[in-house]
Amino acid sequence: MEDQANLGLRRRNFLKGAALSGVAATATAASTLAQAQPGPSQQGTSDPNTPRRQGAVTLKDESTPRNRELTYSSCGGDYMVDVMRSLGIEYFAATPGNTFMGLHEAIINYGMTTAPNLRFLTTMHEEASVAMAHGYAKIEGKPMACGMHTAVGLQHASMAIYNAWCDRVPVFMITGASIDATRRNLWVDWDHAAQDGAAMVRDYTKWDDQPGSLRAFGDSAVRAYKFAMTPPYGPTLLAVDTLMQEDPIPGDKPPPIPRLPSLSAPAAEEGAVRDTAKMLVEAENPVIFADRCARTPEGLRLLVELAEALQAPVIDSSNRLNFPWRHPLNQTASQRGLISRADVLLELEPGDPFAVSAERSPDGEVRSLMQSGSKRITISSVDLYMKSNYQDFQRLPLDVDLAMAADAQATLPSLIEEVKRQLPDSRKAAIAARGTRFAHTHQLALQRARDAATYGWDDSPISMPRLCQELYAEIKDEDWSLVSGTLFQSHWPQQLWSADKHYQYIGEQGGAGIGYTAPATLGAALANQKHGRLSVCINGDGDLMFGPGVLWTAAHEKIPLLYIIHNNRGYHMEIMQLQAIADRRQRGIDRVHIGCEIANPNIDYAMLARSMGVYGQGPIDNPRDLGPAIRRAIEVVKKGEPALIDVVSQGR
Amino acid sequence: MRRASFVLAVSSVLAAALPGLPVQAQVTAGQGDAGHGRKLFLADGCYQCHGTSGEGGGVFGPKLAPAPLSYEAVLQQLRSPRARMPVYTAKVLPDAGAADIYAYLRSIPKAKPASEIPLLNLK
Repeated sequence: MEDQANLGLRRRNFLKGAALSGVAATATAASTLAQAQPGPSQQGTSDPNTPRRQGAVTLKDESTPRNRELTYSSCGGDYMVDVMRSLGIEYFAATPGNTFMGLHEAIINYGMTTAPNLRFLTTMHEEASVAMAHGYAKIEGKPMACGMHTAVGLQHASMAIYNAWCDRVPVFMITGASIDATRRNLWVDWDHAAQDGAAMVRDYTKWDDQPGSLRAFGDSAVRAYKFAMTPPYGPTLLAVDTLMQEDPIPGDKPPPIPRLPSLSAPAAEEGAVRDTAKMLVEAENPVIFADRCARTPEGLRLLVELAEALQAPVIDSSNRLNFPWRHPLNQTASQRGLISRADVLLELEPGDPFAVSAERSPDGEVRSLMQSGSKRITISSVDLYMKSNYQDFQRLPLDVDLAMAADAQATLPSLIEEVKRQLPDSRKAAIAARGTRFAHTHQLALQRARDAATYGWDDSPISMPRLCQELYAEIKDEDWSLVSGTLFQSHWPQQLWSADKHYQYIGEQGGAGIGYTAPATLGAALANQKHGRLSVCINGDGDLMFGPGVLWTAAHEKIPLLYIIHNNRGYHMEIMQLQAIADRRQRGIDRVHIGCEIANPNIDYAMLARSMGVYGQGPIDNPRDLGPAIRRAIEVVKKGEPALIDVVSQGR
Repeated sequence: MRRASFVLAVSSVLAAALPGLPVQAQVTAGQGDAGHGRKLFLADGCYQCHGTSGEGGGVFGPKLAPAPLSYEAVLQQLRSPRARMPVYTAKVLPDAGAADIYAYLRSIPKAKPASEIPLLNLK
């Protein structure tokens, strides 16, 4: 039982007393385990420094250096900092853990004090570290680094890694590795060691390695970065020997830093591009569906160029800002009708290609929306790299005619060139007329959305369109960036706002893992900070409570962000689903709040924010109070600080 | 909200308040109690997907008010729902409760036109 009690305390408390144990214990006469053991009176204490079992046997550990220097002037951690800096990495987000203390110390005393700066960001959960990196990458277009303690830290991080994997986002991750078992001094060092630590998340990391030397670390770091940044983007992981981080560099001469080459994304084969252009040019009703297509602002510009060349309607998923929301060819509101009438459907990086054209009837039958004889083409980098266990590759679409395994954004230039080359003058008038029609239907859709927004406009709890428009009124003349998804807000921003810059919207979680938005918005806001943008987010109460410590990180790191809580006081999706099941069983729904409701007591999010140093207002349930509250909060954000507003809102 | 892929067009009511209600085999729209219907609608159920004024919840639940469909159509949707809306049998929602809810939906006034709401005319 005493051992069990110790188990629960072994991690964070360990830092208080033993953060440097790896250094100190080995630097002193740690060559005998017996010397580190306490006397009998200490047995059963909760101090994780206490060896779990007492034994009479004294083991001479021959592998431990006897004459280790008490001080030294070079270390592997500094070299690792230089390698990360050479890759352009600006931040290292982490909750501390003693298997990467050597690197931690190098970052704060070397990386943060010399140029170019590599800044340590303090998080309160490894899931937050990875999600911050996830959000950052979607704005900045490159990875942030994050560190995870071996075993327990990586276990915490795993869901966030899965989100990044599903969302095709690069993250550069490092976890410690206690490889030399004879230099583990305490029971906790054994609990926090793994023979193959990366195995746990290998199914949803793009690549991992455990480099055996500093020189190999340099190679592996460059390789990890390269793989992360080659479409399909994804998270990569290095398990780095704790002692390699901590120990002096042999001969005090660091290995050379390998050079990262310019990375070129894989474009589609020339013949397939030519055939696709021909089909698009000849089509009467071509439709473009864009999902994770625009990796960068250039992707958005290219998609506009393609759509305008064809005057073809674009359906933009909510996973990126692929296409301007108020562009006349943005026909997202008409997805179903367009696909059912399409004679050619071009899908760019579809996350769920099956669902794009599938329709499920009330009796459960699934059929394709597309008409007979129509052509369906996909361009997807995910076809180039996929794994087996987790099923994020989605159901196989049965009616695809041409599947190009390539990066869509990288393929767009040649496709645009082919379309323009093949477009006969005789088609230009008809194509222009098509554009005119779509401009009209776009305006109709906008008016329909405005009409729909009027219902419940003055209600309390506050309606989603009211919340979104009160926010938009205050930010529309700023250089704003919406750093949260919109699914849970019924996509009202896409329906009512105007956005034409890639950074103005970053999409959803990827793997639909909740707990993403609060930290991801923070990472995105950090990326926006240096560009002087106003970052805003609307996030559910349930998501924030997975890791409210991100509010402290926001205050501590002084990250300006307007954080609006969409407070529907529950895990709303689950309430709806539970209602459906209870109805089917005819048991009534009076108990479905159990396990789904976040009430009794209601959480005071403004007070929660203030307790962590974040400006907080609310709860606000009168829609008339919302505009003034947003204005006050924006003043705070403009001073470089985070601000939170708790808005008691409708479910959706 | 963990299973974000779940898209549900749901209409639901608070069954807890219903068992005490007399079951009426033949209830028409005009017989409903709007006040009680609002209580049923808001207490725990319908508004989750359709909003407190039946304004709709995007893809999760269509608009119900103002100007709801006919009572017969609403009752048909409750008893034999199309799409992904769950079924509401008379055991869970007696006709009297359905009529009260319908009366509430009919009582919801027409919304102000979008043209008269400045926030809905932002450029």
